[in-house]
Amino acid sequence: MSAVAAKPTAGGAMDVTATIIGIIILLVVIALTYFLVGPGLAFMALIGIIVGGILVAFGVHFVPVGGAPAAMGQAPGIATGVAMLAAGAGLAGLFGGAWAAQTTDNLLVIVVTGAVGGGLMMAITCMFVTFIYVFGMGIPNASGKVAKDPITGDTQTEYKSQGTEGHGLPFISYVGGVIGGLFGGAGGTLIYIMLLNLYNEELPGMMNALPAQVLPIAVTLAGMFAIGMFLVNAVLAAYNITGTIEGPHDPKFKRFPRAIVASAVASAVCGIVAIMIVAV
Amino acid sequence: MTVKVEKIEGGIPHNTIMVAGLIASVILIYLTYANVLTGTAYFSFFGGLATVAALVWGSHAIKHLCSYGIGTGVPSAGMIAFGSGVIAMLFATKYGVAAPIVAVIVAAILGAIFGYLANNVLSMRIPVMIISLIELSVIGALTLMGYAAMMTGSFNLTALTTGSIAILGMSLPSYYVSFIGGALIATVFMLGAIAIQHPFNACLGPNWTQDRMLTLAAECGFLSMIVAAIMSMALIPMGAALISLFVAVIGWYYTYAKYIELSRRDAAAWLDSKPIPDVEGQ
Repeated sequence: MSAVAAKPTAGGAMDVTATIIGIIILLVVIALTYFLVGPGLAFMALIGIIVGGILVAFGVHFVPVGGAPAAMGQAPGIATGVAMLAAGAGLAGLFGGAWAAQTTDNLLVIVVTGAVGGGLMMAITCMFVTFIYVFGMGIPNASGKVAKDPITGDTQTEYKSQGTEGHGLPFISYVGGVIGGLFGGAGGTLIYIMLLNLYNEELPGMMNALPAQVLPIAVTLAGMFAIGMFLVNAVLAAYNITGTIEGPHDPKFKRFPRAIVASAVASAVCGIVAIMIVAV
Repeated sequence: MTVKVEKIEGGIPHNTIMVAGLIASVILIYLTYANVLTGTAYFSFFGGLATVAALVWGSHAIKHLCSYGIGTGVPSAGMIAFGSGVIAMLFATKYGVAAPIVAVIVAAILGAIFGYLANNVLSMRIPVMIISLIELSVIGALTLMGYAAMMTGSFNLTALTTGSIAILGMSLPSYYVSFIGGALIATVFMLGAIAIQHPFNACLGPNWTQDRMLTLAAECGFLSMIVAAIMSMALIPMGAALISLFVAVIGWYYTYAKYIELSRRDAAAWLDSKPIPDVEGQ
């Protein structure tokens, strides 16, 4: 998208009617799943998917997404779009989680490993982005949204160039990026592991094969559904912040309740489809 | 409040492209069913042509949506299209011969819900948001189903998850050598997602022209089809894969030449700089 294109000024307020309709859809989907499959593994998978989707959407709000203006040194953040950053952090987390899932059945260990994978990817990205900003482009890191960094207390305004919204990657944005990666990696891994457990349980009976034989099918199906749901949640969260955000100190961060409702509904709808492939 | 930054002027109306793309891709996917009727795999290349039809429609749908300036970049539209499309497509493969129709319906439902969430819950307030996300989900599902049909010769879940591997002259069933078990679906996911968002991302601007963007979309579709044809050699007989490859290369060459011609037509001026300049005095 061209940098100068007018961005929609979506307001910060919540649309009450739409939110209530969204919550009704969410409850209908949960109830429908409960009636169709009962309170077993499949129902727990749906709950896990919804929680994972919420974690992904919440995490996206922490990530400093700068877009094209950041590439030109006119706005703070990492110089690419939400879809790319979230996909990078989420997939790195997914790889970490999938690796842990081979060695242990402990859900907590798997999800934490996924979170570490996502956080590590964002930490490395933020570090090299800062190197390139400071030593390659020669710009200091300064936030345009706050006068003082909430963590270090460093003043920002004297480093900010006139006519820009700040530039580089301030410390709070770096921390936000790592937190966002942790949430995104944990959410993506939770979706994956819930679906993997369900498919490992159901596919052998459905396909008349041994559990070891259907393992590649279960892994790929769970992985593809996890990637699909991850991208849907990440893009919906990106729509909520209308493209760019500086990090947790940005005023746009306060819009996250809307994204949580939207991602819960979207994850539930995707989740019921992913469960129906084996359950009905 | 939204600001529409570009208008579609002249050219084919969006609804015509939408109807033509939908009908063409569904019919082309169904033509691969001739494989089952004749017991061969030679009709698999119709699946690749279905992806081209869907991607041409998809690039125009993205143009239709992103001309409102959604602020998140054009690639995000391609990502949500395939993210929701893959869910609908995998679910639909359960339904055997009805799979393409089920994929369209499930994708449309998913897209409508995501459109409502984006437009009303997230307050995007873009007039074409809901219809665009419906279209993009359907496009994502049909493109992935087209690749599945092209690479395996079929579009039901059993054929997508079960392959065969030849060991010492014997053919043994294997779940690893398959479209889903071998994770080829992840590769075609990215092939399609990049091909759908690139044309508008490359052609947007004040001198956007419809025929140039649609030609580029077809070119991207055929380019992805070449890669898919090469990957299909692992799953379908070599003869059928070579037919797919042949069709893809011919289509790619034609659309590429056409795209270069249209780019020169639209350019203010162009200079044919040779890749290796002639050094004088030697």
